[in-house]
Amino acid sequence: MHGIYDVSVRVALTVVVTVGTLALLVVGCGSSSPKAAAPTPPAAPSKPTCAYPGGWQRLADRINADVYCPGWLPDPLTAQIRGKWNNMNSVDPDRSYLESFVWQETQVGINGVGGELHVNLRGYPGKTAIPRCLGGANDTTWISCFADPRGTVTANGLEATLYTVNQDADQWHVLLAWRHEGGLYTVSEHLAPPLNYRKLLVYLKHEFRSLVVISPSA
Amino acid sequence: MARKLTRREVIAGAAVGAIGATGVYELVDRLTTSSPKRPVVGALPPEQHLLDGLRFVHQDGVEILVPPLHHEIVTARVAVDRTEILNAQGAFEETLASIEADYAPSPVGLGVTVAWGLPYFNRFVPGQSGRLIPFDRRARKSALLDARLFPSDPEDTLLEQNEVAILLRSDVRSNIDDALGRIQDTKLLEVTSLRRGFVGGGFEGRRSLPKQMAVAAGVRGADLIPDNAELFLGFTSTQRAALGPGKIANFETLGLVDLRGSDYFREGTHMHLSHITEDLEAWYVDFAYGERVASAFHPGLDVKPHTQAIPMGPNEVSTGADVRRHYRATGQIGHSAPIQTTSRLPVDLRGADGATYPKGTAIPIRADFNTLDNPFFFSSRPGEVQAEPVAGVHFVVFNPSSDDFHRNRLAMDGVLPDGKIALPPRDRGQGFNSILRTTHRQNFIVPPRRHRSFPLAEL
Repeated sequence: MHGIYDVSVRVALTVVVTVGTLALLVVGCGSSSPKAAAPTPPAAPSKPTCAYPGGWQRLADRINADVYCPGWLPDPLTAQIRGKWNNMNSVDPDRSYLESFVWQETQVGINGVGGELHVNLRGYPGKTAIPRCLGGANDTTWISCFADPRGTVTANGLEATLYTVNQDADQWHVLLAWRHEGGLYTVSEHLAPPLNYRKLLVYLKHEFRSLVVISPSA
Repeated sequence: MARKLTRREVIAGAAVGAIGATGVYELVDRLTTSSPKRPVVGALPPEQHLLDGLRFVHQDGVEILVPPLHHEIVTARVAVDRTEILNAQGAFEETLASIEADYAPSPVGLGVTVAWGLPYFNRFVPGQSGRLIPFDRRARKSALLDARLFPSDPEDTLLEQNEVAILLRSDVRSNIDDALGRIQDTKLLEVTSLRRGFVGGGFEGRRSLPKQMAVAAGVRGADLIPDNAELFLGFTSTQRAALGPGKIANFETLGLVDLRGSDYFREGTHMHLSHITEDLEAWYVDFAYGERVASAFHPGLDVKPHTQAIPMGPNEVSTGADVRRHYRATGQIGHSAPIQTTSRLPVDLRGADGATYPKGTAIPIRADFNTLDNPFFFSSRPGEVQAEPVAGVHFVVFNPSSDDFHRNRLAMDGVLPDGKIALPPRDRGQGFNSILRTTHRQNFIVPPRRHRSFPLAEL
């Protein structure tokens, strides 16, 4: 960074898949961040497109199930798997996946710009039940990974439920979850500056409306 | 929706004329077009801390007391010297009586409670207070002690030294403003702080004041407060069975304190006042509803989602054994449950007022209210008031003594009568302490109405 941003650090987190990094990310999601001006999402595209289909296609092929590529993410994030904002590209043995995209401005410049934008996309092929996570007072109790439903959002033939209390990498995120082809899918956004709850909902719904389904190659 | 007022506008208003400023709280009147229906009130009770004309409603099958919508606390230092306090006593009583003549002592009128701190007694009436301030038999100490820090309090919590605190409660904001103006006009007090707030307003199905005010102020987490929540944290605090009934918190009722062979403070009580900030975003984004219930009450409650009033009457009281069992099973102790080990009657008891209070009856009478003060609406301490509104509570509670309050507050931190539960301060398992931060504390005596003005000055 240059000029007035010399004191700030724009973090392009490298692509990692380690549990340790996930833990760091979760801690970061619970912390407060400096103020920033939030960009406004563009008008909803008439037909969403996946700008980086290659990585998402490889993911769909790897898990042999549909995946959802975000047609829009807040600037500067892009939906490029293994791109500079993709800090988590993880597939578990049960074929569930987590793609995480994060931008952080850890210090405040003289114009007050800073904060964090963090979007997670998950899929649980072959499972429609909400998964269980360790949580509670001492992280020793198995609890629902997504809790406190607050209504639904419908777009592109999908009906998603909004959850406001979420766990693990989605802790302190607001999340939309929907079912598709016998699987459960989610998109979540971190509630932290520059976003407040209302702005976050605008972003999250726009991300949901912009999803593009990518099916495995024949 | 009314225009959003910034805290900076509020402070600007305060600078012009602190006691007359209404700032962001003007919004409260714009948000409440009418007072809830209230019963007709009778004669003035001898107690200052009891409000007449309170209405009860049912919510989630629980009987709820409907508190006054608007609250304000004035703290002050006496502005006259020792030679003038007898005259001051008469003049101040005249002002208070004139307020009472114009406003019934109820939510539709105005509740006025004048409380006095140790600095007043020590500066003006040290001899008289040494002889007559009630003595706590159980603690073997005065019924009025300096405030103390508790394990979950931040180290920078300020233990205040105000000489007087005046609690004003009404459904009509302008009634409070009028009384404030009259009190200020006496020039007998130098205001050290103004603390404003609100509670309820949602029992008739409307959006409650805490919800509307928090949203209007742009407090983080405000949008997640249930629409009709009585308080920011989403649970109803004023259920009848969880508040001390009638005269139970009077000095004389339970025999907890010795009146020192005098009736001077009979029908008086003790008041604790503190300010606590609340991290609403953490409460609503990091605690699922079930954990919020477990944190606010106790683990193991099977409650239908969105329930706000959860029964905490004599039949639902937790014992120390219950709290330890919860802790062993879940690592949590909750909030109400540990406090109940010290705040509820352990046996049936017939009070000095002739009433029979069954085992499990609550002793403290809470009068807390939400606020956006950071930490106060006005403070005489330069730089203390911050521009950014912050969700919080001005906690007001009437107990028979300082020690009685201290025991309850210690229990909230897991320090129970039969030993301490080994939770670190502000641990997530320790009720909702992890989202609270206390900023100020002080204890006061509330004399009976007949001695509310400069108590003991005439002796």
